[in-house]
Amino acid sequence: MTDAPSQDEIVRLARQAGLDLPPAYLDELVEAYGHVRAMVARLPAGRPHGDEPAHIFVPQKFLPAKE
Amino acid sequence: MSDPAFLTIAEASKLIAARKLSPVELTEAYLGRIAKLDHLLDSFVTLTAERARYEAKAAEAAVMAGQPIGRLHGIPYCLKDIYETAGIRTTAMSKLLADNVPARDSYCQEKMAAAGGVLLGKNATWEFAHGGPSWDVLFPPARNPWHRDHSPAGSSSGSAAAVAAGFSPATLGSDTGGSIRGPAAACGIAGLKPTYGLVSRRGVIPNCFTHDHAGPLAWTTEDVAILMQVIAGHDPEDPGSADVPIPNYEVALTGDVKGLVIGVPADWLEMELPLAPATRAAFDAALEVFRGLGATVRPVALPPLQQFDDAKRTIAVAELFTIHGQDLRTRPELFGASLRYRIIAGGLVRAEDYIQAQRLRTDLARAMQKVMATVDLLMLPTAEPAGKLEPLPPSALFTKASLTTPFNVGGNPALSVCCGFAANSLPFSLQIVGRLFDDATVLRAGDAYEKVTPWRDKRPIL
Repeated sequence: MTDAPSQDEIVRLARQAGLDLPPAYLDELVEAYGHVRAMVARLPAGRPHGDEPAHIFVPQKFLPAKE
Repeated sequence: MSDPAFLTIAEASKLIAARKLSPVELTEAYLGRIAKLDHLLDSFVTLTAERARYEAKAAEAAVMAGQPIGRLHGIPYCLKDIYETAGIRTTAMSKLLADNVPARDSYCQEKMAAAGGVLLGKNATWEFAHGGPSWDVLFPPARNPWHRDHSPAGSSSGSAAAVAAGFSPATLGSDTGGSIRGPAAACGIAGLKPTYGLVSRRGVIPNCFTHDHAGPLAWTTEDVAILMQVIAGHDPEDPGSADVPIPNYEVALTGDVKGLVIGVPADWLEMELPLAPATRAAFDAALEVFRGLGATVRPVALPPLQQFDDAKRTIAVAELFTIHGQDLRTRPELFGASLRYRIIAGGLVRAEDYIQAQRLRTDLARAMQKVMATVDLLMLPTAEPAGKLEPLPPSALFTKASLTTPFNVGGNPALSVCCGFAANSLPFSLQIVGRLFDDATVLRAGDAYEKVTPWRDKRPIL
């Protein structure tokens, strides 16, 4: 995992996500984001190009319901 | 006849069909208990007594007219308050939905009503089935009927508490990481997370689309099977719904588990999340029951628990933010602190991270099905017995390992049943996991176990 982002960087990321938070909620975000970063850092990377994710699109699922 | 409020669905259904029990009498028994005792548990957030009485009278009239009736005819039930109900407030326990009255029933509510069920009301949940327990949301958290200062777990907390307390013989919950099985375990009842796609989620307020399951909770596995017969089936309006044949789940309850091969994920229980000695003893005793019934038990190796948790939680936090982002941007103060903490960082998850988590899910689901091809069932505890009802550190969602989440990731059917009681009377739990779409074998095993053990004879005293 790369170095933990500074609070200013997290504020910037939050604003990119449309979150302009008051200080109390910003503290929550900073703490929670630490946990999310730790999880994400454990996800395997460097995969073969063809590795499919689990949320592939199945077009038949979107056919109109039969009368 | 014993107090009708403590009849199982199977028992009450037979009495109704034989005209020995009126749906009106049965409904009044539950409404009476709720009125008298639910202030101790807060398991209901909305009571639909008037509607229940109307439906019960209609059910009674149909019986007296000799109309054909099914197993759920005249049977009261309740719904976790994330199931949309036309004309009835559906809040998800959140101030954000305090005035939300849906125009249409959820798929499951349509099925339950069409089967002749009698809706008693809506059950307490954790906020949006994800954050809790909370004291800063629309309603107080439900309590565990075995010990009111203990948690019924979450998020289908009021659902499980209501069934255990004899306020309703049936309820429907939802399970994204263990939210049916955890409360069923904590409250000593049966709860099934069906195979992903077997029960439609249409009209169930989402938590995490890719891991959400709708499913039943009841006092016995037999009753869970009866409920599954009503709610399982293909729904084109749910993109995750599977178009598969639905077996007769009640007929599958033969009591025979001879020859079944049961796998135990030994590394999880011994290395990653070692069980408390009493929990281990209860689990070992349950396995011994299955050996005595002719099953064989052997260890199996699955990927580490943490991989399942990392994949699911990364996906979930991103999906949750997508669902709640607009409210987080404009009125974050209306969220309970627990839920807000658990979803707010989802806005900072990159698309690459989300997709890598989905790739990991592919690996894990394949690994799970490869192991399941070598056994008929997996067995493990659902959780340790319930802890105190108190605020949990919201970070626990990110850090605490789960014995239930892997089967949301894999999509496999997983049932929790009671397997005894701790010294303080809180229930122990056994989780029974099956192959995809083989929910019938899971139910068969749970029912066989319940029929040869004494745990269904004991109810909490309020």
